[in-house]
Amino acid sequence: MLTVNAFSLSLGDKTLIKELSFKIADGQVLSIMGPSGIGKSSLLHFLSGSLSSNLTTTGEAFLNDEALQTKSTQDRKVGLLQQMPLLFPHMSIIENLLFAIPADINKAERITMAQNALEKLGIPDKASALPKELSGGQQARVALLRTLLSQPDYLLLDEPFSKLDPALRRDVRAFVLNEIRQANIPALLVTHDPEDAKAMEGECLELGRE
Amino acid sequence: MPLKHAKWITGIITLLLIFPIVIGLVGTLLPAFAYFPPLGEYSISLVPWRNLFAQGEFYASLKLTLITGIAAPLLALWFALSLLAWGYQRPFFTKVEAALSPILAIPHAAIAIGLLFLLSPSGWLVRLFSPWLTGFDRPPNWITVQDPYGVSLILALVIKEMPYLLFVMLATMRSIKARESLQVGQALGYSRFTLWRKVLIPQLYPIIRLPIFIVVAFSLTVVDLALVIGPNTPSTLAVTLLRWFNDPDLSMRLMASAGAISLMLVIVVVLAGWELAHLLFSKLTRAERSNGKRFGLTDSLLRLGVVLGLLALLNAFLALALLPIWSLARRWRFPDALPSQWTWDNIDRATPLLIELTSNTLTIALIATLLACVISLVMLETKRRSYSTDHGKQHVFDWLIYVPILLPQIGFLFGLHVLLIYLNLNGDLCAIIALHLMYVLPYVYLTLKGPYLAYEEEYLLQANRLNHRPWRNYVLVKIAMLKPAIFTAFAIGFSVSIAQYLPTLIAGEGRYSTLTTEAVAQAASGDRKQVGSMAMLQAFFPIMVFWLAQFIPPRWTKWRLKFKKAFNTGLIEKDKMC
Repeated sequence: MLTVNAFSLSLGDKTLIKELSFKIADGQVLSIMGPSGIGKSSLLHFLSGSLSSNLTTTGEAFLNDEALQTKSTQDRKVGLLQQMPLLFPHMSIIENLLFAIPADINKAERITMAQNALEKLGIPDKASALPKELSGGQQARVALLRTLLSQPDYLLLDEPFSKLDPALRRDVRAFVLNEIRQANIPALLVTHDPEDAKAMEGECLELGRE
Repeated sequence: MPLKHAKWITGIITLLLIFPIVIGLVGTLLPAFAYFPPLGEYSISLVPWRNLFAQGEFYASLKLTLITGIAAPLLALWFALSLLAWGYQRPFFTKVEAALSPILAIPHAAIAIGLLFLLSPSGWLVRLFSPWLTGFDRPPNWITVQDPYGVSLILALVIKEMPYLLFVMLATMRSIKARESLQVGQALGYSRFTLWRKVLIPQLYPIIRLPIFIVVAFSLTVVDLALVIGPNTPSTLAVTLLRWFNDPDLSMRLMASAGAISLMLVIVVVLAGWELAHLLFSKLTRAERSNGKRFGLTDSLLRLGVVLGLLALLNAFLALALLPIWSLARRWRFPDALPSQWTWDNIDRATPLLIELTSNTLTIALIATLLACVISLVMLETKRRSYSTDHGKQHVFDWLIYVPILLPQIGFLFGLHVLLIYLNLNGDLCAIIALHLMYVLPYVYLTLKGPYLAYEEEYLLQANRLNHRPWRNYVLVKIAMLKPAIFTAFAIGFSVSIAQYLPTLIAGEGRYSTLTTEAVAQAASGDRKQVGSMAMLQAFFPIMVFWLAQFIPPRWTKWRLKFKKAFNTGLIEKDKMC
């Protein structure tokens, strides 16, 4: 359960977000919509702990009743997925996946986990391919699985579908929702596209409407 | 880089950069006013200056320095602009671009020695036309190289500087939207050269002003090139000063220091004059730019520049080709165009010496360049952080890094030498490496700067979210992704180190010779076979490293994965069976 209480965001003396509160249950996706510049991405940065210093925020965030703000980014166990898949171009697909699997798991099991992920994607033969050899849709899916393999406690999605072909989007959305449900963690999606929000079958908040 | 205390690190590096500069300057300035404790001179006076101004040689040398130091950059700039205007975006020009980096990589002493082989009265050019055209069956007693006007020195400087300027210009083409401007202009009916004259060159100049300044300062102060191919008695001021500094009569040092200070003033005056001339020139041509004429008479100036520029490039390649020929020649009598007998003997005979020189050269170059790469990464990381907090502000490194390149090595290095003696480091390998580092670091830093600051930091941030090992991720993700830039910077730094003459000579005090110091020392002695071998090796290593720097990075990942596959197949198969 990810809880945000009375979150406000301002840039200088301009208030962007005022007193926003929500709760996201495990395995659920909350969508947040609104025009650009409203502070959607800043909300994600607030939750992931990488907010730039010229923005001021108030409010609290909890993960299963544990306060998040007091923790540094690396202690938060947060997964973030952005527009760009950000697969490391100099590592093969399986190396990208292995990179995310925690190091305390033994080697054989790590390889099995990565190979299972490849099976799930239907590309077991692409294990030692480089990211650029995959299609955009495949890259997006690999990026999601890589993030989930790092075993995050909550997931933040920053318009992860906007760079994909419209035809691909439907498949990738369904894939993402399915994976989040299986991982059973709360997820927050930020988007422009009402279709994205609808596909996530969860609550939807619209910012910037009085 | 998960650096802590970035502010402190910036401060320490700044001090480390400033310290040798200040010591070098003070160590030159004080002796120039007769304060020189090592010789028991404690009173400030103007005697060194009076002695300097009483020397006829000073004026003759100064005149030569001004002629060569102004003519060479002017010609190099003219040729480089012409070649660019002529070839930019044409298919064949990519070949010229590819040929640039080897010439850039080759130490200037090697090119000068090649030119000596090519242009001297008994050189290849005269041989090629003898005796069938010239009727010579022995070398004519013309003065072609080391001529008293410095023409051959100017040629050598142009050959070294034109490729550098061309390289710098090509790198700026995108930022001034050259392709788009040319398309628009040509649609308006302007000729190619006119467009360059009226539209592109005026935009280009302010961006490449600093590289031009570097070239001017280099031309005014160069020592090794001038020793090999420059005029003697009088020589250029830098060479005359070197002789005074090395004079057994130690009091000559005071006069030499005054000379070194005046050389610094000459650089300032020439650069100021250069800028003034540019200002006047752009005032004069401003009206002409918008007069609507689609062609102009001065276009042919660019056309002429193309021909001369190509000739200079051709000279450079011939000069380089002659180095291995000389080192493999057994008998090569005068009018023959090629040796009549070939042999490995020259190289065999020189092998012990060559091995010693090569190992010295490579040790110094590798250590200095590796250090420069690491320091550059730390400097760029601290700069990147300050970049994200206070935007657009000039970082202290951005101008400080140019100081060692712009200051004349002569004088300045002798000032540092005094410090080395105090520290009991004179003649020590560490001292040579430290001085090399001072000249390698700026080039490595400047080469890395663009790619490092342009790096998409999100990759590293994502890596740190996926697993929390910041140092490991910095190396495995950021450094690994910046591999091409780091390899190129390494190659450039390496070639800068190989080319260093004065720093090696002054810090090493002759105890450590490198390919460069030995080739320059022997260039005049006349054993062309041995000098050819040294110059060839001197050119070989930088070209090799440049080639590797281009060749390895794009293939690295493929090789790594192949290697891993061959090594790991068993493991993965076993896993599948479990």
